[in-house]
Amino acid sequence: MKNNNFLQLWGWPLLLAALIMFGLLAALIGTGLWHWLSWIALTVPVVTMGWYLFKKDGSGR
Amino acid sequence: MATIKNVKRWFTIHKWTSLICTLFLLMLCVTGLPLVFHDEINQLQGKTQAAPPMPEGTPKASLDDIVKAGRQQYPHDVVRYVYWDDEQPNIVTVNLADSINAPADVYKLVVVDERTAEVLKAPETDKGFMHVMLELHTDMFAGIIGKLFLGLMGLLFVAAIVSGVMLYGPVMRRFDFGMIRRDKSTRLKWLDMHNLLGVVVLSWTLVVGITGVINTLSDVVLFMWQSGQLKEMVAPYKNKPAISGELSSLDAAVKTAVKAAPEMKPRIVAFPGTIFTSKHHYAVFMKGNTPVTSRLIKPALIDAQTGRLTDIRTMPWYVNALFISEPLHFGDYGGLPLKILWALFDIATIIVLISGLYLWFARRKATAARINRILQSEAVTQAAILNEQL
Repeated sequence: MKNNNFLQLWGWPLLLAALIMFGLLAALIGTGLWHWLSWIALTVPVVTMGWYLFKKDGSGR
Repeated sequence: MATIKNVKRWFTIHKWTSLICTLFLLMLCVTGLPLVFHDEINQLQGKTQAAPPMPEGTPKASLDDIVKAGRQQYPHDVVRYVYWDDEQPNIVTVNLADSINAPADVYKLVVVDERTAEVLKAPETDKGFMHVMLELHTDMFAGIIGKLFLGLMGLLFVAAIVSGVMLYGPVMRRFDFGMIRRDKSTRLKWLDMHNLLGVVVLSWTLVVGITGVINTLSDVVLFMWQSGQLKEMVAPYKNKPAISGELSSLDAAVKTAVKAAPEMKPRIVAFPGTIFTSKHHYAVFMKGNTPVTSRLIKPALIDAQTGRLTDIRTMPWYVNALFISEPLHFGDYGGLPLKILWALFDIATIIVLISGLYLWFARRKATAARINRILQSEAVTQAAILNEQL
């Protein structure tokens, strides 16, 4: 039976959390380029959700 | 095993904190969705005024004339505030009420062109859809009690998020990130969706949740500031008699404030006698020019008789914390793309809440069915025993 190590379990959640925090703060501390960086960073978790929700071939186990 | 006991404990915490706050959180997420776009919606409804275009660098009218223009619209009222909005260039808004002590939500607005001191179309006082959304979202029409209650629900939500994270590890230990078991049972499918969306939007919900809780403390923060810094700043005037006659020039007062804080610009002026100042001072609240410093306000107090600056300070940390947390809750600080992303995170949160609710129902049903089965098999055994004995 599978037994995830720390990175397998928490890698994605941690990466997405870091991207969201960066995105939220980037738009606050600057404009222009910072806004773009913020939009890009925050799009990643949204796309991730869409990808797994609408993926056709079901489970990855 | 100790970990099983731990998981059970976190599950209980997750279940109860969620159950108590979920319906309120659903209401907050649903009402918050249109509120994210309130600027755009107001614009579509033609509720925002735009000043007519004029050549760059057209000189500004005296603020005294602007206030006079406001007074002429409502001759029996008093001016309480004058304010500027970055989203509406070249516009000054004058806020009047029938008395200086009238409740905060009783007011009339006069929108004035900053360059000509001419009154633009006065905005309708909004009692429509957006107003209902805002009231529901901030205090459910129940004043400070409603506000603090929603703050409490926000705290429970944060506890639910933390306990949810504690469960994510043990639940997902043997599975891949993003797994959704579509072909097993509806309950497992919803459980997987709940886990996936919940862990992906985790830090967004934490930030919006915590800043929301901070926002519910706005009245408390105002009270702390009034009885702390403001009281200190106006202490020399404590025993002075109330101002009589005309106030000194507002235009001069704002110029004095700008001179004292040249890197900043005025955001709002509170007139003497309002809750943001003393009975003797104009309070000119100055804001910075960069995205961050524009959230940090400096109050400059100007004697409304002599026109002299009596004090200017930086706000205490708890006021700054409130002002910094406002944009992080509203999501209105990064253009339309950020608002759209905000709405998508909000919708994901709604799905997490609904799936959580569904899982609780489904689990209850499953438990009930199991108990039923046990009772039935019990009955069968007892019947068998009875048969044997006969």
